[in-house]
Amino acid sequence: MKLARILILSAGVALAISGAVPLLERIFADTKPAMQLNVKNAQPREVEDVTQNAIVRDYTLAWQAISTSLANNTLQPLNENFAGFALDKFTQRVKDQKQNGLTTRIIDHGHKVDAIFYSPDGAAIELKDTASIETQVLDGSTVIHSGQAQIHYYAVMTGAEDRWKVRVLESTAQ
Amino acid sequence: MRKAIYIGLVIALCWFAADCARAAELRVPQNAVAGQPLSIGTSGSGTLYLVGPGQVIKKEFKSGSVEIKGEELRSAGRWIAAIRGDSNQSQVFWVKPGKPGKLNFLARPSRVPVARPNVISGVTFVFDQYQNLILDPTPVNFNLSVGGSRFTKSVTSREGVAWINSASAPKAGAAQFVASVGDTSVARVVQQVAADPCERSFRMHVAGHAGNRTIVETDPIRDCSGNPVPDGTIVTFIQTDKTGKSTVDARIKKGTARAELPASDNATITVAAGVVLGNELHVGGRQ
Repeated sequence: MKLARILILSAGVALAISGAVPLLERIFADTKPAMQLNVKNAQPREVEDVTQNAIVRDYTLAWQAISTSLANNTLQPLNENFAGFALDKFTQRVKDQKQNGLTTRIIDHGHKVDAIFYSPDGAAIELKDTASIETQVLDGSTVIHSGQAQIHYYAVMTGAEDRWKVRVLESTAQ
Repeated sequence: MRKAIYIGLVIALCWFAADCARAAELRVPQNAVAGQPLSIGTSGSGTLYLVGPGQVIKKEFKSGSVEIKGEELRSAGRWIAAIRGDSNQSQVFWVKPGKPGKLNFLARPSRVPVARPNVISGVTFVFDQYQNLILDPTPVNFNLSVGGSRFTKSVTSREGVAWINSASAPKAGAAQFVASVGDTSVARVVQQVAADPCERSFRMHVAGHAGNRTIVETDPIRDCSGNPVPDGTIVTFIQTDKTGKSTVDARIKKGTARAELPASDNATITVAAGVVLGNELHVGGRQ
């Protein structure tokens, strides 16, 4: 009898944990992703401390904007953090998602970022990012794809009026 | 024991068969290129979703292959192919950028003094015609020309970017700074202006007298490469005598600067532009 009680209790606890974990993941998905920036390999110019902090802040915001925009099919977060080709592409993606009734949930588990190029005049910086990302693509409420992967990205950011904006964000197989 | 092995084998067989069946249902080529057609193999019927970095394609299909036109497949990077219908599955595939078709060229600064080492920088990001960054090494030609002088350098891009640092030419004028890859080129203008006046030739003389004033004027002001210093540049004349100091800031007009100073029976006049000093004049007693 006691054994049966323990078993039922264990099953209940397991059930609660299995329900709570995805809920917590979703809560943390809206928070800022973890970002580690290494600037030792940046060429030809050294990245200043102030610039490092700004890049971490603004690249983090850009990824937050991607998550929000693709989950809700809204353009505003993109406009604030992207420019040029990257803005064109993500805007098109959001429009296509909206037109086809799709949404994308991104759970961002963090980024290891290397600055690989910092232009001589300090106007542009190129980053190589290894991102750990969990993605769910939904058609309405039906999940059509779900997966977690480490994805390599190249990002180019340029200085804008009050922040750095992402101009290029491209994933690559290597 | 024998029964257990038999059950295990059956399970393994079923698993393998299911895997084979799954592989047969969605076949995505792994060598897709942006701007080129793509054929995706399917079986059964349903809806095919292609979710790329910058676009989404959704198509209904019946058994066979789904053809994606070249102009539909524009974004390079990580794509997800998913089908819903007789079977539900998804797969990741990669699309590579096409040939170089666009350049982003940052040329700095827009205005620069002549004959200075490493003052002009050119940074080029190489893209295909669908705005995908080309990460494969690509030779980029930089060409900086003004008047008869020309500087050319070829740099192979690394991780999508090629850059150079260049000296400004000795001749003033609007320099054409061009970056090119194959038939694609982008031009920027870098205005090369005369540097500071040349100390050797920065001289003034008394040009005349007007009432109780002395008129001093410089010779045509040039930099050390012989380029005329632009009109509007400030030249400062300072006259010192027993009554004190008189200063006049005059702008260069038609190549020379001119000032009227109070007449004095014994004064010293100096002339300067920025950090460069010209000759010194003694007026009144002796010169």
